[in-house]
Amino acid sequence: MFLTRSEYDRGVNTFSPEGRLFQVEYAIEAIKLGSTTVGVKTPEGVVLAVEKRVQSPLLESSSIEKIMEIDTHLGCAMSGLTADARTMIDHARVTSQNHAFTYDERIKVESATQAVCDLALRFGESVHDEDAMMSRPFGVALLIAGIDELGPQLFHTDPSGTFVRYEAKAIGSGSEAAQSELQDKWHSQMTLREAQILTLRVLKQVMEEKLDHHNVQLAQVTPQAGFEILDEVRLKEIVDAM
Amino acid sequence: MSIMQYNGGSTIAMVGKDCVAIACDLRLGNQALGISSNFEKIFAMTERTYIGLPGLATDVTTLHEQLRYRLNMYTIKEERTMEPETFIHLVSSTLYEKRWGPYFIEPVLAGLQRMPGGSFRPFIASTDLIGCINFAKDFVVAGTASEKLFGVAEGLWEPDLAPEDLFETISQTLLNAVDRDAYSGWGAVVYVITEDKVIKRTLKGRMD
Amino acid sequence: MPDGSYERPQQRQFNPYSENGGTILAIAGADFSVIAGDTRQSEGYSIQTRYAPKVFRLTERAVLAVNGFAADGNMFVKKVKQRLEWYRHAHAKDMPLRAIARLIQTMLYAQRFFPYYVYNILGGIEEDGTGAVYSFDPVGSYEREACRAAGAAQSLVQPFLDNQIYFKNQTPAPGASHPTHLPLPDVLSIVIDSFTSATERHIEVGDGLEIYVVLAKGRSTQELASIGGLQELSTRAEGDRMFVIRRDLKKD
Repeated sequence: MFLTRSEYDRGVNTFSPEGRLFQVEYAIEAIKLGSTTVGVKTPEGVVLAVEKRVQSPLLESSSIEKIMEIDTHLGCAMSGLTADARTMIDHARVTSQNHAFTYDERIKVESATQAVCDLALRFGESVHDEDAMMSRPFGVALLIAGIDELGPQLFHTDPSGTFVRYEAKAIGSGSEAAQSELQDKWHSQMTLREAQILTLRVLKQVMEEKLDHHNVQLAQVTPQAGFEILDEVRLKEIVDAM
Repeated sequence: MSIMQYNGGSTIAMVGKDCVAIACDLRLGNQALGISSNFEKIFAMTERTYIGLPGLATDVTTLHEQLRYRLNMYTIKEERTMEPETFIHLVSSTLYEKRWGPYFIEPVLAGLQRMPGGSFRPFIASTDLIGCINFAKDFVVAGTASEKLFGVAEGLWEPDLAPEDLFETISQTLLNAVDRDAYSGWGAVVYVITEDKVIKRTLKGRMD
Repeated sequence: MPDGSYERPQQRQFNPYSENGGTILAIAGADFSVIAGDTRQSEGYSIQTRYAPKVFRLTERAVLAVNGFAADGNMFVKKVKQRLEWYRHAHAKDMPLRAIARLIQTMLYAQRFFPYYVYNILGGIEEDGTGAVYSFDPVGSYEREACRAAGAAQSLVQPFLDNQIYFKNQTPAPGASHPTHLPLPDVLSIVIDSFTSATERHIEVGDGLEIYVVLAKGRSTQELASIGGLQELSTRAEGDRMFVIRRDLKKD
């Protein structure tokens, strides 16, 4: 694919004669360089887990942030160019707050995901009448987890602005192995606890370092507590139990 | 703001079966400020004729005294008590005398009219501030809560109410109407007039 | 002046608002809601029409009554309906009642400095199946209540409702208590009495009466069986059901 490079891989809004948008495809490739991120849906809630690559012993691992809150009932994990995700999550947060302001209700998970994907397609144009243009597609994929009147849900978005709902999904560098492991182990009646352990086990298999409570991050969305990132104490307890 | 609303207050009268009732609130105000919760606006003119005088408080007193004076003169000269239907015409002409500088009062009257055979006929009436008489057959209202009184009375009143039912109807009408009027309220007084007795009751109401 | 000019400065003014009379009223029951309005539209002492609806079906379970300046009212309802359709497309569901209430607030407040000259009353069934009434002022201040009257005869009807719905100034018998919600037949009687009373004493109220009744899912329609002038508006027998009762009011 990269061998057939041509002038068509320059412009973000120019199709190649074969009908491809190379910059978008390259952006999707960028995600495969990111750290592995896993999401699992259960009837009790949704679990998100990410690998934190701690490249140096001097790096403070707690400063790596790959799971973020969108709203009390919505969370998001990312893989790829994580800096790009800030723009997207900012947009999701604003959309969610605007929805609550205007309608006095929590936005649906799909609607929030749709809003993020609308933004993902806006490369090559300016946003909100600003002069600055989004020059390229986002180089990040998101797993958006949340609960609404339709129950717990997990969505995957990619730089093309496509979104799909999943029972369980892995993205990032180890995603192929992780996804097939999820396919083996996932079942529809999992408890939240089983899902927590499954996500960590899947991460453990694809991680180069030995998994501990410093180099992974775990979050969940439940009907009771909404979105929460598990602190090191709770994380360690699960790591020890797996 | 109209001078009619300066002191606040409302009055209502209703016809029942062989009885009439008249009621008023007890508030005296100075615009939005409450001054007294013991300002009665209903006065007994004869044994069976009661008049309510809602409006400007200074004129309530003055007009009451004026009416009392003229009624006494009539009683002395004629050596008989004045019937309510006659009295409302006295009220009317007294008010019309001041056609170009009126008393700011809209009187409401309730009484029992003595008939030729010696029986009594319920009688109510009201006038505007220059004495135009309204001979209503059901109920009459006046004061700052008059619109509300009309609405509630139109919904609650029915013909031929016995004295106790009439009391309940006029009380509920007044209380619920004045609760929606900032210028009326602070307690109420109700008179039920029957052939053999007049019952005066003081009602507790919302004090806000 | 002969040349067409003026001797003194002249002042001209355009008043964009008018007041078209009429009255609206809504009462919430435990599992139903009743929203009513008369159909007379007037300007000053003239009757413009004897049939101009002020009550509108928004969704399967929401009804909006609009009173004040009719042009603003009709445009407002049109815009609310448009927003409801957009919402349906964006979120794949009908907007819930409390969401409509909040939407109406934001739409009204958006016009804070050139308001829609209308009083809104929203009635219907909440997502939990309870009957609800929301009332608004022209710039969007709103609250959920058990009953509300608005419009020309508000001051006539509201204290009557205080007495009959909230049992204000009535003391329950010892050991007893007042019901929080009235049965449907009682509510319908109170609505009809309110409008006949208002028609009797207010010149801007009369001609016709439209009473919308929204029943929560699974509720019996038995109590409506004997009501004259009834028409069902709901498309599905399962789910919430909506009816309209049309009555004549005095035309004088």
